[in-house]
Amino acid sequence: MSETSGQPDGRDPLGRDTIPKFFAYNAQHRRDRPAMREKALGIWQAWSWGEVDARVRDLAGGLAALGLKRGDKVTIIGDNRPELYWAMAASQSLGAIPVPVYQDSVADEIQYVIEHAEARFAVVENQEQVDKLLSILDRLPMLEIIAYSDPRGLRHYGQPFLRNLADVTKQGAAYNAAHPGFIDAEIARGSGNDLAIICYTSGTTGRPKGVMLSHDNVVRSANLAVAFDKLNENDQVLAYLPMAWVGDNFLSYVESAVTGFCMNCPESADTVLQDLREVGPTYFFAPPRIWENLLTTVMIRMEDASAIKRRMFHFFIGLARRAGRNILEGKPVALTDRLLYALGEILVYGPLKNVLGLSRLRLAYTAGEAIGPDIFDFFRALGINLKQLYGQTECTVYLCMHTDTDVIPDTVGPPAPGVELRIDEKTGEVLFRSPGVFVGYYKNDAATAETKTADGWVHTGDAGVFTDNGHLRIIDRAKDVGRLTDGALFAPKYVENKLKFFPHIKEAVAFGDGRDHVAAFINIDLAAVGSWAERNGLSYTSYADLAGRPEVYALIRGCIEQVNRDLSSDSSMTASQIKRFLVLHKELDADDGELTRTRKVRRSTIAERYGALIEALYSGQPSIAVEAKITFEDGRTGTFKANLKVDEATTYSTMRKAG
Amino acid sequence: MAFFFEVLIGGLMAGVMYSLVALGFVLIFKASGVFNFAQGAMVLFAGLFFVGFTELGVPTWLSLLLTVGVMVLLAVAVERLVLRHLVNQEGIILFMATIGVSFFLDGFGQTIWGSNVKQLDIGIPTDPIFLMDGEILIQSFDLWAALVAGTLLASLVVFQKTRTGRALRAVADDHQAAQSVGIPLNVIWIIVWAIAGLVALVAGVMWGSKLGMQPAIVSLALKALPVLILGGFTSIPGAIIGGLIIGAGEKLAEVYIGPLVGGGIENWFAYVLALAFLLIRPQGLFGEKLIERV
Amino acid sequence: MSAPEKNIGDILLKVENISLSFGGVKALTDISFEIREREILAIIGPNGAGKSSMLNCINGFYHPQQGTITYRGEKRKQMRPHEAAKQGIARTFQNIALFKGMSTLDNIMTGRLLKMKSGLFTSAIYKGPAEREQIEHREFCERIIDFLEIEAIRKVPVGRLPYGLQKRVELARALAAEPTLLLLDEPMAGMNLEEKQDMCRFILDVNDEFGTTICLIEHDMGVVMDISDRVVVLDYGRKIGDGIPDEVKSSQAVIDAYLGVQH
Repeated sequence: MSETSGQPDGRDPLGRDTIPKFFAYNAQHRRDRPAMREKALGIWQAWSWGEVDARVRDLAGGLAALGLKRGDKVTIIGDNRPELYWAMAASQSLGAIPVPVYQDSVADEIQYVIEHAEARFAVVENQEQVDKLLSILDRLPMLEIIAYSDPRGLRHYGQPFLRNLADVTKQGAAYNAAHPGFIDAEIARGSGNDLAIICYTSGTTGRPKGVMLSHDNVVRSANLAVAFDKLNENDQVLAYLPMAWVGDNFLSYVESAVTGFCMNCPESADTVLQDLREVGPTYFFAPPRIWENLLTTVMIRMEDASAIKRRMFHFFIGLARRAGRNILEGKPVALTDRLLYALGEILVYGPLKNVLGLSRLRLAYTAGEAIGPDIFDFFRALGINLKQLYGQTECTVYLCMHTDTDVIPDTVGPPAPGVELRIDEKTGEVLFRSPGVFVGYYKNDAATAETKTADGWVHTGDAGVFTDNGHLRIIDRAKDVGRLTDGALFAPKYVENKLKFFPHIKEAVAFGDGRDHVAAFINIDLAAVGSWAERNGLSYTSYADLAGRPEVYALIRGCIEQVNRDLSSDSSMTASQIKRFLVLHKELDADDGELTRTRKVRRSTIAERYGALIEALYSGQPSIAVEAKITFEDGRTGTFKANLKVDEATTYSTMRKAG
Repeated sequence: MAFFFEVLIGGLMAGVMYSLVALGFVLIFKASGVFNFAQGAMVLFAGLFFVGFTELGVPTWLSLLLTVGVMVLLAVAVERLVLRHLVNQEGIILFMATIGVSFFLDGFGQTIWGSNVKQLDIGIPTDPIFLMDGEILIQSFDLWAALVAGTLLASLVVFQKTRTGRALRAVADDHQAAQSVGIPLNVIWIIVWAIAGLVALVAGVMWGSKLGMQPAIVSLALKALPVLILGGFTSIPGAIIGGLIIGAGEKLAEVYIGPLVGGGIENWFAYVLALAFLLIRPQGLFGEKLIERV
Repeated sequence: MSAPEKNIGDILLKVENISLSFGGVKALTDISFEIREREILAIIGPNGAGKSSMLNCINGFYHPQQGTITYRGEKRKQMRPHEAAKQGIARTFQNIALFKGMSTLDNIMTGRLLKMKSGLFTSAIYKGPAEREQIEHREFCERIIDFLEIEAIRKVPVGRLPYGLQKRVELARALAAEPTLLLLDEPMAGMNLEEKQDMCRFILDVNDEFGTTICLIEHDMGVVMDISDRVVVLDYGRKIGDGIPDEVKSSQAVIDAYLGVQH
């Protein structure tokens, strides 16, 4: 599409510098094309760009009539609903700034955001959200209007500041009729420097920070991304991730406005997988968790299938894992494999993709967490163009993306068009400059100054390295990265993640900062190792007993050596190979403070509690005595005394480049 | 080979007859959970009335219509006099009741129309048909029987999609729930027994034309029991396919295994097959496997 | 979020001197009470107090030996369940009576059976007026699906659903009949706290949105007191209390019954 490509800095060739201007453009040039879909009473309903534009204008009129002014903040809370997206667009049309909040936030969290953002208006989905707001109303004197889109259960709420969004829209139509040209003038007044949105990021420490993104940020980033992935008005997306997350705002709302493609809202949070099947998006973003769920669904189905089906499935998946990726990336593949793959497409891959709702998919991304290479490869093997993306709110979603033909599972790809990256030599932290660089943290100049340097570089807080072929690989949070005594970079999480991709390993803690080599604690996964033990005729009495078995040590050593081989193939990581390890006699537990509630390792607690064990890893002794209270499977408790064995793993030299 | 096919086709055609009786069983069992022992007697009963009417000089079509009326009346009577009073009783008690109904129908039919064998000819051609250059011989009567059974089945399938059909399905699934959404149980029972009666009439006419109308038909109708075990008590397709398997199986067994063991297999083959099935797959070929949440 | 004054209307159903016994066992003795339009009436009592029997009398599953039930001004001695359904009485069951083999949607559609006008055989052809009617009913059922938030299980055979959801589907089927009087037999039995709260919310919403009169049975006093307008207490087949929740809660006879004081 000529209208969105061309400019290397992402500026719009037609001069549209705000989202409302794109809405206006679409209403004119794509009047009858579908813009949004949602299921009502079990049937998909579509709104064309013309209809959406009319609704947005009426709603904007209504909000203006209620007193919404340029620069005001409007908080938006709810599931992905067309009405809420319209409210977003209506606010932007008037020059007001939407501030979406996660729909599952508790009242206190909502209170903080509204208070901090000084929102005068709230547009929410339903009674649940209204009730939350009412419970904190006395602490929110600045909040003047609460409008809701679903009136169910709200009929008897008499408060004058509560408005049905439908009524607001109706009043807006009258207001616009009385003030012709008002909305158009307001839209024309907007410029690229205006704020488009404030996204509050749930920081791991302290209060959330409001990331201000301008229309320039989102429009230019979108133009570049659209050209990069050749998105166009024929694409379909499913808008199912939280509206408060910058990713949904960008990938669904902004890119839809910029390209004119249709966004589909799921019927409810529970129906997403069914809606996915019905919509069949062409462009789909999902965090690793969702890809994992999809794969698990397939595997469970296959367990229940007949033996013939199962055998056919495994044969063709094996073939796909061998040849599928190369076919997808246009690399040479033996003719027989190519023919078999075509047969597999008819018998297995096609039906499978159809069941999952992925048959029309031409572009898929994952981001957020590290994705298991096994899962990643599975989807690529099926011929799904799944790629990694790396970014954050502060850069307007993306910094790196894989290109279609150059995908490496454990990198996040090369810097995206328009993005400059550099890695701080001392800390290993990734810094960037791009058209998407955020304006600042709202009302928090100190934090802004800390993150954004005077010459425009922004700290990501992530440590990364560039691989030999120019891809960025994120290895850890920058503050956790340390160095071995020989000066080599050591990123514990990178090593731990590699270990945790093995089903037999539940948790791993890697040590190495200030040491001469890397060592690790391993937690076995009781379910996986237990069933492995059963299959191999190994009996055990308790977790601790199983963990201490030489057979289990051998199993884990195998995993570690595979990780070591993998690490050795990468010059920047080869020093991180694990020399010594031990298998812990107890599971690391959030209740004991060893993990956070989101299952992240608490390094300080572990260093303190298991100091003796860590010393054993580095002192060269073959075992260490431990004593702990344990509970047997039958409920009895006892004291566990044992010698934990410290085992050695083979390490590999860098010279041996992996094939 | 041609001989094999001839036996097979002959067996399948006999199987259609079994299927027709089994179908009546399934309909009633599905809708009310009652194992209707009287289905065989209903076949004879309907057949006797039909023959009786024609022998009185009533035209065939009118006899047919009159017999339909008789079967509907029978359904009403069974509901009024038996089922209504035994509602919510144990299955075994209802089963006993149908045995009673069976003996009554058997005796009452013969009291009215006599117990001698009656010839029945409703004009179905009986000439043999030769297939494959005369290699295979089949009875055109058998073809007609298959055609009639097919038509009956097709109309049952259509019936299932009607509002009444859906109500039947609901009743079959859960009595209480069906009543609470406003489905009158009694009416449904009458409808089911009336349909079973119609099926019995068709079976009676076909069997009567083939073998003559005689009391022995009742015991022959009990062949439906192994058919049900094979096909599953709740499955209409099961009743059809079960009937075909039993019919073909016993004829083939008689011809090919019979000489080895001194013949007479035809009489007990079906039951042995059913017994074997009970051991392997007690719910039958198409029966529902009971899945219960615990 | 207190509901404003509710507009409770005239007497919808009046139970007078009902006695019911099975063989020699008396299940209900001389029970009288009334249900008013648009109210939520709870019948509570310890296990075996005769609550389900009472509901079964109203709905026509049981026929009391003595006494009369007056529904919408019409006195009757006996009624069959399907007649009760025709007159706008829908119900759910303690042990869940769903059509296990059918999907959620099909189950709810059976609730519309009485509302369907097409003749006995026409719907097989599925064209013309019959089809239009079918679509209207489907739309109505979808409204209920939306209302009870069960979109995700629309096509799932109900036999496969967890207990709490089955209860919700049963409620949906009862609502599909657009009942005047809705009888709920232990709607919250066997549910966890969250499911109970959801169910309470749905009961209140149904009452509020559709103005449906609701008579529900529970043996757990706590939940019921919060949502009912009036409570009738049974014990050993006799009525020992009748009034607004606060009155009933403080009645000595009721407290004794719940504490198991011997008579």
